[in-house]
Order: sequence, then C-alpha cells, then structure tokens
Amino acid sequence: MSQHTPPTSPSETVRAGITVALGVYLVGLALCVAGNSASGSSALVRTIHGRLFAPWMTLPWLDLGYDTRLTHAGVDDGDHRFEFQRLDDPGATGWIVLPGPTMHGERAARWRRLARATAVNEADPDREALLPAAVGAGTFGPWRTGDVSLRVMRHLPSDRGDVLAGRSDVAGSRDRAYAARVRLVDGEIQLIASTPRDELAPLVPEPKP
Amino acid sequence: MKETCDGPGRTPAAADVIGATWMRFWFAPAGPWPLALVRVLGGLLALALWVSYAWDLEVWFGPRGMIPPALLGAWRSPFALSLFDHAGTSTAVRVGYLAGGLVLAAFTIGFATPVTAVLGGLAFTTLLHRGPMLVGPADDVAAVILWCTAIGRSGDALSVDRLIADRLGRPAPCPAFRTRIALGLLRVHASVIAAAAALAQLKGDVWWNGTAAWWLASRADSRLVDLTGAFLRSEYLMNLVTHAIVLFEVVVAAGLWFSAVRGVIVPVAVVVWPVVGAIAGEPFWGLAMAVLTLGCLPTAVECGE
Repeated sequence: MSQHTPPTSPSETVRAGITVALGVYLVGLALCVAGNSASGSSALVRTIHGRLFAPWMTLPWLDLGYDTRLTHAGVDDGDHRFEFQRLDDPGATGWIVLPGPTMHGERAARWRRLARATAVNEADPDREALLPAAVGAGTFGPWRTGDVSLRVMRHLPSDRGDVLAGRSDVAGSRDRAYAARVRLVDGEIQLIASTPRDELAPLVPEPKP
Repeated sequence: MKETCDGPGRTPAAADVIGATWMRFWFAPAGPWPLALVRVLGGLLALALWVSYAWDLEVWFGPRGMIPPALLGAWRSPFALSLFDHAGTSTAVRVGYLAGGLVLAAFTIGFATPVTAVLGGLAFTTLLHRGPMLVGPADDVAAVILWCTAIGRSGDALSVDRLIADRLGRPAPCPAFRTRIALGLLRVHASVIAAAAALAQLKGDVWWNGTAAWWLASRADSRLVDLTGAFLRSEYLMNLVTHAIVLFEVVVAAGLWFSAVRGVIVPVAVVVWPVVGAIAGEPFWGLAMAVLTLGCLPTAVECGE
C-alpha cells in the first residue's frame, strides 16, 4: 500500500474567496457566450460584457461565443481558397492555389480560414482592403515578385435535389468571392480591387426627350 | 432525516442543499487520474495544433508576412496581446515558436507541470492572438483545456514529475480540491460548448429540415469522409445524421449534470465527438471536445478509502 500525503482542504476563507471567483467567472462565461453570438447581442449584455469581462477574458482566449454552427448552407459556409498569379513574369501563366492539393489537415484548414476572412471582411468598412493587401504583399518576398493577382474562390456545393434531378454535379462549383491586383509601386503597396462584371452598371445613354 | 443548523429533525432548506451541492462539486478533493489523462491528451492536441503552424510560420508571421502586427488592430480586441507581435525578425519568430513548442511538450509529459501548465497556456494563446483569422473551433477548446488543467494538479499522475517524486521516495499525492475545481470547470465548459454549438446550429434552417449533413458532406475540400453517395441514396439517413448531431450535443450538454447517466454519456461522447468532427470536416474540434468530456469522468479514487 502506497503512502499518501494528507488530503488538502481549503480553509473557510479560501473557499469563500474561490466561490466568489468562480461565481464571477461563470457569469463572465455566460456573458461571453451571449455577447459573442453570431446573432448579435443586446446593448445591456454588450455593455456589461465589454466593460467588466472582456478586459480580462480576452487575453487567455476565453472571450468566446463557442457558437460552432458547422454549416447553415450559406455561400460563406463553403470552403474558400486563395489563387495567386504573378503578373510581372510572362512565363508564369498558371494560378498558385493555397491550400494546395498536397496540403491537408489543420494546416489546410488555417489557409481556408484566412481565405474566407479575406473575402468576408471586405464587407466590413473597418477592415476593407486590409487583409487582401497584406496577403498579396506577403507573397512578394517568397516569390520574388512585386505584382500579383489574388483571388479568393469559394466552393458552392450542389443542392441534393439538383444532383438527383441531374441538374448539377455532386462536386458543385466555385465562384469568385474576391479578386484584386496587389503591386508594389515606389515602395508602397497598391491594391486594385476587381469588381465582378455583373456588379457594374451598364453605360446606357440617356434617352433624348 | 439529516440534521441541519436549524436543529435535528428539520428538513434541510433549499439554500443548504444548494450550498452543500456547490461545496461538493467544487471543493470535494478529487483524485489525479482524470485530470492527468486530460493533461496528456490535451497537451498532445495542443501540440498538434501548434505544429500545424510550423510550415507557414514565416509566411504568416515573418517580418514581411501576410499578417503583419499593424493589421491586427482591426481584428483584435484592444485587450488582446501576443508576444509574437514583438518578434521583429524571422529568427525571433522561430525561437519563440520553438520555445512555446518545447513548453507544451514538457507540459504534455508532465515535467515541471505547475510551471509548464501556465506557460503552455500563455504560449498557446499568444500564438492564437497573433493570427486570429487563422483560429478554428479546435483552438478555442484547446485553450479551455490548457487553462483548466493549469488550475488543477494535473502533474500528480502520468507525469515525469510523479516519476521523479517516486524515485525520491515522496509519498503519493492525495486527492486535492484544486483538481476538483479544474474538473468542475472542464465539465462546465464541456456542457456550455455543446449547448452553444447546438443553439448555433438550430438557428439555421438546414438543421431543422434535415439537410445539414448533406451540406457538410459536400464540402469537398475540408471533408474527411465522403458521405454524399450514401446521402444521395437515402434521404432518411441524411436526416438521421443531421438530427443525431444536434440531439447528441443537447444530450451531452444536459446529461453531464446527472450522475445517473454521466457514467454512460462520457464514454459515448468520447467516441461520438470525433465522429461528429470527422463528418463536419473539423476533426480536431471533435477530438478537443472528446478530451474536454474526458474531464467529466467520475473520480472514484479517494484518499484513505
């Protein structure tokens, strides 16, 4: 029979202190879940969470909603990927795909998340163009270039009914979620976002009265 | 009939019952084995997630990387901070990364556990803060596991620390209340995260009309198993898988609080979470949830019993 050290039992004061700390943490956890929901949160929850709990729960990566929805079948729920093309090298005609076909597991998943963040955050005025410019510029060093075309392609899965009816393939399709040209001009990074053709208004001459 | 402070023969007041339950849940000393198991498996998981950065460390976080620190102001909370923000050279990034990996490895094998547990948590979260747009649900759960194990005495078993103590003839450690607090927090998070996932899913129509499993299976890039053929053949199977995922999450979230069923739910969940992760194309999330649920194992080992 092995010897044991005596069981450790906290004093009343320590237990009271820990109880208060646990209570505060559990309230913080509940408010973080409520305050970080993708559905948004009320002004009350946002204020209490933001002022009292976010300051100390952010650093240990605990200020989270944990709302892992897996999929809602929206266009942004599909797999995203980067495609790059060097524009200052006439010989480089192909597109470099990231994550590439040989990339698997969590590494590939991180590239997909970065690609998705690049496309999705373009709708956010505070983040617009920041990530595409940085990602594009990030290719300059490794590929010894100063001019790249960047696009984010997203996978659009086919509807099961369409596949059964023969209207579409089970593999689905890809569409362009974002595209831009990123280049280095006089030491400064320049981003020229590309607008999809169907978003451009046609130039129609005004009818004469 | 139990005696209470109100005197013999009185039924315990609700406040007394709640108080006693609270004290038992958080402060009854717990044996080291479940938490030590969570430490080993959680450490391995955190290491795997850590290693997934290795190939692209320079491309993402290097001095001319795709995610420069200046960009992060628009992505991070003002309270966020990463030690990697101050790594201005490739060498500094690599040294920091290697040091963090070594700390996590030491934590996993249980070497200097009280120190490496805290440092491992710091290292892991500082890497997550360096590139928040790269972080996935498995990272979120791994951070919880690391912090919870840092609170308890996770190095009291299955560890190098224990081996050294045995060599030195030190007595085996007794169950500790700190370990109970860590296990309690693991259970709270296992339940909350399962509930939050179920709630998030149920906001989408596809989880009600039974087609979510199809949309998960048809993500050709991220899926681990191709179930589209089976779902094309059987709509009921697709519906069953969809509803089973949500039902499983709800059962785990609620069932972990009932001791009568917890002994069944925990082993089942440890097997089913990785399956859900594989179907969803988030295998590490499934594994992380399985490790988190392992912390809910009953602790039967009591000192002196």
